[in-house]
Formats: sequence, C-alpha cells, structure tokens
Amino acid sequence: MAALLEISAARREFVTPEGGRLAALDGVDLTVGANEFVTLLGPSGCGKTTLLRAISGFEVLDNGTMRLDGMDLTALPPFRRPVNTVFQSYALFGHMTVARNVGYALEVAGVGKASRDAQVAEALEKVGLAGMGGRRPGQLSGGQRQRVALARAIIAKPRLLLLDEPLSALDRNLRQQMQLELKTLQHSLGIAFIFVTHDQEEALTMSDRIVVMRAGRIEQIGSPRDIYRHPKNRFVAEFIGETNLFPVTVDHVAGNIALGRTADGVELQLPATGRSVGEQVTAILRPADFTLGTAGIPGQVTREVYLGSDLYIFVQPKAGGPEIRVIARDGAGAAEGAAVHLAHDPTSVHVLEAA
Amino acid sequence: MRNPVGWAALTAFSLAFFAFIYAPLFVIIGYSFNSNPVNMMIWEHFTFDWYAGLLGLADRTTDVSNRAAYVESTGQMLAALRTSLTVAVITTTISTVLGTATAIALARYRFRLRGVYNGFLMLPMMMPDIVLGIGLLIFFVTIGMNLSMLTIIIGHCTFLASYVFIIVQARIAGIDPALEEASADLGASEWVTLRKVLLPQLAPGILGGALLAFVISMDDLVITYFVSGTGDTTLPVFIFGMIRRGVKPEINAIATLIILASVVIAALGLWLRSRKTD
Ligand SMILES: Nc1ncnc2c1ncn2[C@@H]1O[C@H](COP(=O)(O)OP(=O)(O)OP(=O)(O)O)[C@@H](O)[C@H]1O
Ligand SMILES: [Mg+2]
Repeated sequence: MAALLEISAARREFVTPEGGRLAALDGVDLTVGANEFVTLLGPSGCGKTTLLRAISGFEVLDNGTMRLDGMDLTALPPFRRPVNTVFQSYALFGHMTVARNVGYALEVAGVGKASRDAQVAEALEKVGLAGMGGRRPGQLSGGQRQRVALARAIIAKPRLLLLDEPLSALDRNLRQQMQLELKTLQHSLGIAFIFVTHDQEEALTMSDRIVVMRAGRIEQIGSPRDIYRHPKNRFVAEFIGETNLFPVTVDHVAGNIALGRTADGVELQLPATGRSVGEQVTAILRPADFTLGTAGIPGQVTREVYLGSDLYIFVQPKAGGPEIRVIARDGAGAAEGAAVHLAHDPTSVHVLEAA
Repeated sequence: MRNPVGWAALTAFSLAFFAFIYAPLFVIIGYSFNSNPVNMMIWEHFTFDWYAGLLGLADRTTDVSNRAAYVESTGQMLAALRTSLTVAVITTTISTVLGTATAIALARYRFRLRGVYNGFLMLPMMMPDIVLGIGLLIFFVTIGMNLSMLTIIIGHCTFLASYVFIIVQARIAGIDPALEEASADLGASEWVTLRKVLLPQLAPGILGGALLAFVISMDDLVITYFVSGTGDTTLPVFIFGMIRRGVKPEINAIATLIILASVVIAALGLWLRSRKTD
C-alpha cells in the first residue's frame, strides 16, 4: 500500500503544572496507507489526542517529521493541511444552519453558492440527513450532530480524516450503527481514517490496523487479529480483551508440545517451537481458548456471569494461583461451585518470551 | 404542593421589591404632569406644559412672574443632549472595539504578563469615580490639554473599555476553543475564523457590552463633571447644574423622557438578543 502519511520520531513535550516535563509523544513512528482505517488505542493520557492534533497542526512537534503524500507538513499551519477532523465535542457552529456548517470548508475556499449547495445536499444525503439543512445544530439529537460533524469534515474530500473518539457520546445501539456506517463511508469515500477510541471492541471491529499506545510510545502496530492473538507484551495482551497470563517454567519438551508449569503448579501445554527446558516464559490464553471437559487443569467455579448464550466463569485452579477467566457455553454444567477441568489447544497458546 | 402562606408571602415580597425599585421613577413621571410651577410636591392639575416647554413648543417666556421656574433655554438643554449623545456614540464605538479586542487577545493568546493585564483591566471599574475624575483632570492639566468634548470622550473610554472587556470576556470564556480549531481545520485563516466564527459567537456579549457602555456614558456625572470644560456640557452635568438652583418641574419631564429612552434601548437590546440566539 502506498504510504499516505509518514510520521517519524515524533516528539512533543509538555511542561506539567508541577514544573516537570512530560513527553506526550515520545518518538512515534507511524505510516498510514491510502484508504486505510487505523485506530489509535491506549489508556487515558497516552497521547492519542496529541498525535491527532500534531497531524492536524494544532500541536507543533518538538522533534520528528511528518509527511503527507511526500509533502512536508512541519511548517504548514492547520488551515493549509489537507486533513480534516471530527472533533469529540463535534464543535458545530451554533450560529449557522446545518447546511452552512456542512458547507463551511467550501465557503472559506471560495466555492460558488450553486456548486456549494449541491455538494452540501450530497454530503447530507451521504450521512443520512437529507432535508435537515435548514435546522440549527441546537435542534438536533446527539447522533444527528455527530453526522453533521462528519459531513462537514468530509465535504472538502480530505486525503485523511481524523476522528477523536467520535462515538463516545452516543448510546450503545446508535454507536454500533454508526460504527457500521463509518466503515461503509470510509470505503465508499476512499480516504484514510485515523480513529481514536477507548473502546477495544470498537477498535477490533472497525480497524484495518490498530496502534496500541502507552505513555507517548507505540507498543504495537498490527491487524486486529495480530494484536489480539499475538500481543508483543503483557501490556498489549492485558489492554486488548480479557486475558489469562501464566508465568511458567518450561518443564519438558516432547514432540511439538512443551509443558510449562506455574510456580503454583498449574500445568499448561505450549507450542514447542523455540522452547527449551528450564526457560521462563509467559503463556497467554484468552477466555475462549479453554473448553470444559474431563481432562485438563482441575479447578472449581467460583463465580459465573451470564452473558446471554455464553457464560463467563471464574475458575480457581486446584493447584492455586489467580483465578482463570473462561467463556463457556451456557448449560455446559459450569454452575457456581462445580468442579471442572479446563482443557486447551496447545497451538492456540501465545507465548511471550519474558516471564 | 404550594404552601398558601408561603406563596402569599412570596407574592407580597415581590410586589414590595418592585415597588421599592420603581416608586421613585413613578413619582417623577407623575410630577412631570403636575402644573404647579412653584411647589411641585403639591398637585395642581394635569399638564403637558413642561414637555412642551422643554421641546420649545410652548412659548411661556411671556409669563414673566414665573421666569425662574423655567429651563434657562431649551437650546442649552438640547445642546447638552446632543453632546451627551455624541460622546456616548463615539465612546461606545471606541470602548467596544478596544474592550472586545483586549478580551480576545487575553483569552486566546499566551504572552508575558497576561495576568497583570487582567488585573489592570479590572481596576478602573473598582476605582471610585471621584478618584478617576480627579486623576483624569490632573492628567489633562499636566499635559496641557484643554478641557473639551475630546477630554470627556477620552475620560469615558478609560473606564468603559474595562466594562466592555469584562462582559466580552465572560462570554468568550463560555465558547469552546474547539470551534475556532474546527474553523481552522476546515481551511479558514485566523482572520476568516475571527469574522465568521468568533465574532458571531461573541455578538451577544459585544452587543451587551456596547449597550452598557452607551448607558453608562449617557449617565455619567462624576467623571464628566471633572473633565468637561465650559463649552461642552453633557445632559447629566447640565441637569445637575439646574438642580443646584432649585428643583424645577422641567427636570421631572427631562427625567421621564430619559426613562422612556432607556426603556426603548433596553427593549431593543432584548429584541436583538432574542433574534440572535436559537
Ligand atoms: N496543552 C497541554 N499542556 C500540558 N499537558 C498536556 C497538554 N495536552 C496534553 N497534555 C498531557 O499530555 C498527555 C497526553 O494527552 P492526550 O490528550 O494526548 O491523551 P489521550 O491519549 O488523548 O487521552 P484520553 O484518552 O483521555 O483522551 C497527558 O498526560 C496530558 O496531561
Ligand atoms: Mg484524547
């Protein structure tokens, strides 16, 4: 994929009120392809907004370079960058009609009224707000405002659209509907999206690639499957989805299966490739990787959470150690207090080299 | 559930409150129609004479015995009114521009001594008028400036800019800075953003500040008293001069007309505001 946006060694420091320095961006390298959907994911304060603001030009980098289509962005003020933003607060102009809000980019670019009106109608149509142009933003619902903000940001056909938690103010149903619509829109427009969210589920369902950030650094970049199945470290593993982490010592290797044992004595089967006896590693298993059966790790169900067709259970291993989180089918005999065995497929185990 | 006793008490209190505020105004309005030229406290009968006299419509100068009761000259009073209006219009314009620009600069740009500027802008509002008046007078005398309409205008601007600043600043504090960022993001230069986003958003505050400045300028007595020369006199200073030679019935008529003008201005302001917001 041709690189649309290339960021290298981006650094931005803030002076904290206490007088210290805080690197909101601490050497960020990121490449975004044309028509790619990239999601920035990370805990609060990790620098997601700062990165978006640096791309749109509202934060000036202390260090590093940023190119869009090969053009150096460093010296360009925000209003000259071919990048548009959907703000978290929507930032709609309350004194203008919806139509004028949407047509604002064309208005300031000096596009004639007739052509502007046609494009505004088309953009409103695209976001499902046809005929609402005469209203004021104050007369719209949250979801409708969100769509106006979206229409306003795409009307000038930017190469890159930045979205800072655009869905966080919406309720769950509307949110899921908008997720779908955003994805469809991104495809039909053929532009790249950089999308910020706190919601890992949202990140997994929408993205071509996910960028996991922590404290101004990028921890891992990869496809949703990559990030979920092959996290690079404990932070990523724990941040994306529910995870069971087992620090184990490799006990013996037989064929293509290695046996690992935790300090408490819980035994796990790992893929043998690259394992050597006595080595300390961390085994990662997702709750859905376990199946309830007659063989495997013996334990007792301590709590159950009903999820509809599935049951989320906490199993205390007999050998001791932290509870294991497991997703079981409802009716699989995993009631509270029941004695169970947790089996798993060795190949589904992801191994982190560090213990 | 309404508590009837509490409700009655609240009603009584509200009525008393409005009576307290408006009684003096109604007394003035009432007496402005009293024909008794000697003692306006004693009701004689209803008349429009004082208004007619003020506006130069009735020639009562022939009534020599009552000479002392009349405005010295309708012309003088109208000149004072004209001075007041001229001063008010010019100071309102200057102080609105200055106050608004300062509020925007202090709210949106970072520079050295920002906090200090903020403090200094509050000062003219809190300073007693008499101190400001004396200070201005001494200043003008020191730099050798003759007292005239210009000194009145300068004097008014010194503190009215602060009033406008305070009001616009309050408004700007409530405006999401993301609006201006959104404008820039969509391709608008700072100048276009100012014109199309920030100023329209600030409009109610600017309008409110301008109306306040206009009213205060029209109303100011103390500071104007110090910095007005012998030639140009504003209406309040003129009325003050009249009262010193005894309260005359025309004053009631002037006051009533001023009340009427204030009501019209206030109504205009409210109407403009209701049209602006949605
Ligand atoms: N203008 C600023 N001045 C000082 N510190 C700032 C400024 N803007 C951001 N920071 C700091 O930089 C860090 C990164 O902030 P940023 O807003 O990018 O986080 P974020 O990942 O978007 O968080 P959230 O998910 O809560 O929105 C935070 O620690 C924040 O306190
Ligand atoms: Mg943020």
